[in-house]
Amino acid sequence: MSDTSPKPSSNLMKIFLRAGGQLREKLRPDTDHYTRKVEYDGEKTISDILKLIEIDQSFIAFIYANGEIKDFAYIPLDGQTITLQPPVSGG
Amino acid sequence: MGNGLAGATLHINLTSGEIKRVPTDEQFMREWYGGRGVTAKIIYDQVPRNADPLGPENIFILNAGVMSGSLVPAGSKVSFGSVSPLSNGHGDSNMGGHLGPALKFAGYDTVIFKGVSPKPVYLYIDDDKVELRDASKYWGMGSLECEPNLKHDLGEDFEIATIGPAGENLIRFSCITHDFGRQAGRCGQGAVMGSKRLKAIAVRGTGSIKVHDLKGLTKYVSDIIIRTQTHPNMAPWQKYGTAFFIDWSNKNGVMPTRNFQTTHFEDSKGIDGDSLVEKCLVTHKACFGCWMNCGKYTRATLPGKKPVYLEGPEYETGSLCGSNLGMKDINEVAYINWLMDNQGMDTMSGGGVVAFGMECFQRGLITRDQIEGQTLNWGSIDDVEHFVDMIVHRRGIGEWFAGGTKRAAQFVGQGSEKFAMQVKGQEMSGYDGRWAPGMLLAYMTCDIGAHHNRAWTITVDMAEGRETIDGRAKVVVYLQHIRPLFDCWCICRLFWGELDIEPEEIVQSLNYVTGWDVNFPEALRTSEKIWNLSRCHYLERNRSNGRTFDYPPARSWEDKIPSGPGKGKGLVKEQVEGMLDDYYSCRGWDSNGNPTRDVLEDLNLKFAADNLEKIGLLGQPIPGGIPEVRGERYKPKAF
Repeated sequence: MSDTSPKPSSNLMKIFLRAGGQLREKLRPDTDHYTRKVEYDGEKTISDILKLIEIDQSFIAFIYANGEIKDFAYIPLDGQTITLQPPVSGG
Repeated sequence: MGNGLAGATLHINLTSGEIKRVPTDEQFMREWYGGRGVTAKIIYDQVPRNADPLGPENIFILNAGVMSGSLVPAGSKVSFGSVSPLSNGHGDSNMGGHLGPALKFAGYDTVIFKGVSPKPVYLYIDDDKVELRDASKYWGMGSLECEPNLKHDLGEDFEIATIGPAGENLIRFSCITHDFGRQAGRCGQGAVMGSKRLKAIAVRGTGSIKVHDLKGLTKYVSDIIIRTQTHPNMAPWQKYGTAFFIDWSNKNGVMPTRNFQTTHFEDSKGIDGDSLVEKCLVTHKACFGCWMNCGKYTRATLPGKKPVYLEGPEYETGSLCGSNLGMKDINEVAYINWLMDNQGMDTMSGGGVVAFGMECFQRGLITRDQIEGQTLNWGSIDDVEHFVDMIVHRRGIGEWFAGGTKRAAQFVGQGSEKFAMQVKGQEMSGYDGRWAPGMLLAYMTCDIGAHHNRAWTITVDMAEGRETIDGRAKVVVYLQHIRPLFDCWCICRLFWGELDIEPEEIVQSLNYVTGWDVNFPEALRTSEKIWNLSRCHYLERNRSNGRTFDYPPARSWEDKIPSGPGKGKGLVKEQVEGMLDDYYSCRGWDSNGNPTRDVLEDLNLKFAADNLEKIGLLGQPIPGGIPEVRGERYKPKAF
């Protein structure tokens, strides 16, 4: 994976989405085993980005970024890495 | 002695005080895989069919499997088993922590208790020294008080498992507690210990376990460490454990709320993972051989009450003692978690039982006079504390609820059976199945009663369609085969479920440890054999067609979900019947839910077929024969 530290936003945004389990298969990683680079124009919410890549958000338990839970309205910074946490399979 | 095994089995007669040490039967372990499998066979063979689960003829077993205490990731578990006082059938429950490895390091794979001690005792194991010791001074102590007292008296390096007053008083949903907050919660194993006047088990082990291929195992474990450290799920799990799941469950309309009346809790933000970490977290906590540290050691602080320390609440407790009781604040949930842990009752069943009492009170089916002038209102911490005390000490109608929800409903009557949220006497886990039909089927058909850990299907329900039952049976059967394998081998399933370790890799690690040369299809088949044996055992003890016992409470099809994202959703009775028909067909059982001779003999269970035939409960032959593979591997179509 290349440098993922946040950078000032520009029109062309690039973020890295990470996921494991069945969600990983849906994400279709292209950067490493768990990570997909997504590029888009302008600021978008996670919800919008998921629509863009056709992932149903009901399969995501929560968004995890900067060590915190974020909601689907969160707007990633350019270059940011975002983890998509699937639901637990029952402990 | 075989690889992965400690070498000895202890037979302890609590009535006479006799302790016998015999070599562990490796062939028996190989055939039944240890843990839950070994327990299932021993209690099938040795407990009389009419024995009272809380009487002297029941047997209480610990088994640490073949991978607990090895290098295998999270090889931390120990399994407890007996005939369950909740279901009156096979019962097993397991816990992480450090007790399983300690037992193995002391040299023991299995401990089998029979009889009843004339006075309270605890089992003391210090490597070769094994004694029954007087537990009079600990009797009456809460679980979370007894453990530090025993450690103080014996040494910090002893691993302790103990029961609380609930177990001593034979509350049927009592648990066993270890490591200040790890529980073997389900199936009333704490009550079985209490019935035998066995207060605790204290183990110090300083030995080691031989493995078949140390080089291969070391490489395997090293690779897993590297892979999982960078896995996307690792950091969130380390921070929140399962508590993060509250929010998802709520948003997706499966959150049990006010005794499963609805599936969406309007105040869930106050009890979710963020609240836990922000308000209660003291430190993270891991079991033996695990770097995921999903355990959260916490402090609950409430006005007018002394601060208390506990492990949790994880998701199940967070839902069943949170939204299901109408609790709006994580400190309240944590306090109830501590209360039930210390009294020694399963927080899952405990939450279910108290919620049932609250709905009875809401509907006027029990009155203030019956609860000592108190109320039993949603969201009242004082009401919960008082009612739990009535139950633990069997005061008044506390006696009714001491038997669990099913038995309480028989006393309350007045139609309350409809919302007694249990199957086979065991209370439901923290997911409502009305808009997740596979989950409901998993509860209905679970061998120990309504428990999620044998099969959890909610994402499957979402992928396949939440309002259709199509395809659900085969998924449930597959999951009921793969998930219990972890309970046989006594390792945590989270590395498989959450960190993408493939089942074939886990089987390979079993081979590195044991040299057994198992493959994954064989493992599934052995698990299927255990499942069928426990089904036969249930039928032999409860003497009716299996289908009779597989229904959930009528709320599951009579009441539509009244609010939240699932508003208006729900199943109809025909769908419940249809799922049972599909399930029995997948299993090669007849339409009465009885195993057939063909399937039992295919699994080398001819003796069980003969026993069912003698009591008229052997399934009728299936026209066209049984499926060749029962429970094929599932890949969700949505992915």
